Amino acid sequence: MTAYLQAAGLDHSFGGLHALRACSFEVEQGRITCLVGPNGAGKTTIFNAITGFLRPDGGHVTFRGRSLNGLRPQAIVHAGIARTFQNLRLFTDLSALDNVMVALPRQFAEEPLGAIFRPLRAARGQTRLRADALRILDHVGLADRAREVVRNLSYGEQKLLTVARVLATGAELLLLDEPASGLSAGALDAVMTLLRRLQTEGKTLLVVEHNTRVVQQIADEVLFLHQGHLMARGSPQQIIADPALAEIYFGGAI
Amino acid sequence: MDFLYSYLALAAVYVMLGLSTNLLVGIVGIFSVSQAAVFGVGAYIVAHFLMAAAPLSFLPALAIAMVGCIALNILVTLPALRVSGDYFVVTSFGIQLLATAVFTNWTAGTGGANGLPGIPPPDLFGYQMASTFQLMVLCLCGLLLACTCFWLIMRAPFGRLLRAIREDEHAVAAAGKNVLRAKVSAAALAGAFAGMAGGLYATFLSFIDPSSFDLDSSILLLTMVVVGGARTLAGSIVGPFLLLAMPQALSMLDIPTTIAAAARQLIYGLLLIAFMLFRPQGLVGERL
Repeated sequence: MTAYLQAAGLDHSFGGLHALRACSFEVEQGRITCLVGPNGAGKTTIFNAITGFLRPDGGHVTFRGRSLNGLRPQAIVHAGIARTFQNLRLFTDLSALDNVMVALPRQFAEEPLGAIFRPLRAARGQTRLRADALRILDHVGLADRAREVVRNLSYGEQKLLTVARVLATGAELLLLDEPASGLSAGALDAVMTLLRRLQTEGKTLLVVEHNTRVVQQIADEVLFLHQGHLMARGSPQQIIADPALAEIYFGGAI
Repeated sequence: MDFLYSYLALAAVYVMLGLSTNLLVGIVGIFSVSQAAVFGVGAYIVAHFLMAAAPLSFLPALAIAMVGCIALNILVTLPALRVSGDYFVVTSFGIQLLATAVFTNWTAGTGGANGLPGIPPPDLFGYQMASTFQLMVLCLCGLLLACTCFWLIMRAPFGRLLRAIREDEHAVAAAGKNVLRAKVSAAALAGAFAGMAGGLYATFLSFIDPSSFDLDSSILLLTMVVVGGARTLAGSIVGPFLLLAMPQALSMLDIPTTIAAAARQLIYGLLLIAFMLFRPQGLVGERL
């Protein structure tokens, strides 16, 4: 049986820094898998390697049995994997609605010839895109903020918008980089509820998360990463109960 | 009256160039300072085919010029397609200097520094245009066409994609979009605008020389975009109309022509600095 998402022997160095060392793991379909580990463990590097933003020095990634090696980011989105960024990377001068609309797949007049020679069809397409984007914004609870320019949104709203944007791509495997960091308690609950709901709707989630409370509440499985290597995997309870991992995670401070 | 007509015709030409520059610099964020070079190539191509031993008529010549400028503009923006960044300005600057050198020194093709006189006025479907009024109408038709295209692309998904690319091209790639193809398309469109402007300019003035297509002209185009306003159709129209009116306004003052020419450059420079500092969104645009 082939795994849903499989990373095998990923290796990568940035100059002298060995960010990933023979890193292998699997993600099962339909689950929420949390990627945890101390700073510099290679979590974001793994995201970059899976989504084509970084070509690892060695190893390979397969998704539904298909190799993703050498594919560019847009091809990987088309294969069904989309990601968010830790630093959000929203289009801050555009409205929330436009941010989502950009990410919708299969748009007509995404090139100049269609826009110029088939303007009516382009306008009809826009109406449909707008409706689709509004539905997605409604789904994450931002429908009433749709026309707002992104930089006027609160940080919590911006985080939700990054989720709306990956949902818009239509991808089935979502890689979320710290969706809960920096959020107030209320916003945190909203994000966790949303992630659970996405799971029930058939999405598979791979989530980088630091907040152990969030990990305990949402994770079906935890992958513990240390120095670019998968150190342990298990249920949140198993991982948190392991004193050796706590020692690494909190740097021996407790 | 002819005076007003030629002002309108030239302003129309510069609006097309303003759209070309605004599309690249304002909307996609490719900071090109060589749009005048592409403009010049369009002008020389049209002049060449209209003055050939077996001359083409105007529209086929213009079509060839536009295709040539599309190809050229993709080529010159190529360094900016892979990597975005301020380094491109330097490359673009070099391209502009190179183009000026070719325009000035390739005497057989361009007439060199003396320029190409005697370019025939345009003909449309066998009808030979002659009066300034007719030429102005033709230029305004070109303006209308270019503005319509610009308006249509900016309200289509393509326009949204370009704006998103200017803000964060990695995020656009992460949304599953082909950034490279969108940038090439924008460069092609900007090239088509510049080529059309060049052809109309050459036939309207019936004389072209390298001074219209040099670095000063490229910077004038940037000034027009900055003063009018980046990223908007209105800004691309207001800027050229305003800045081309200025020499006329200066000529009403009682100053010698030699000083007036220098004063004009001075004022362009001051305008550019003042707007960047105090009103970066221009008169009717958005912040660059």
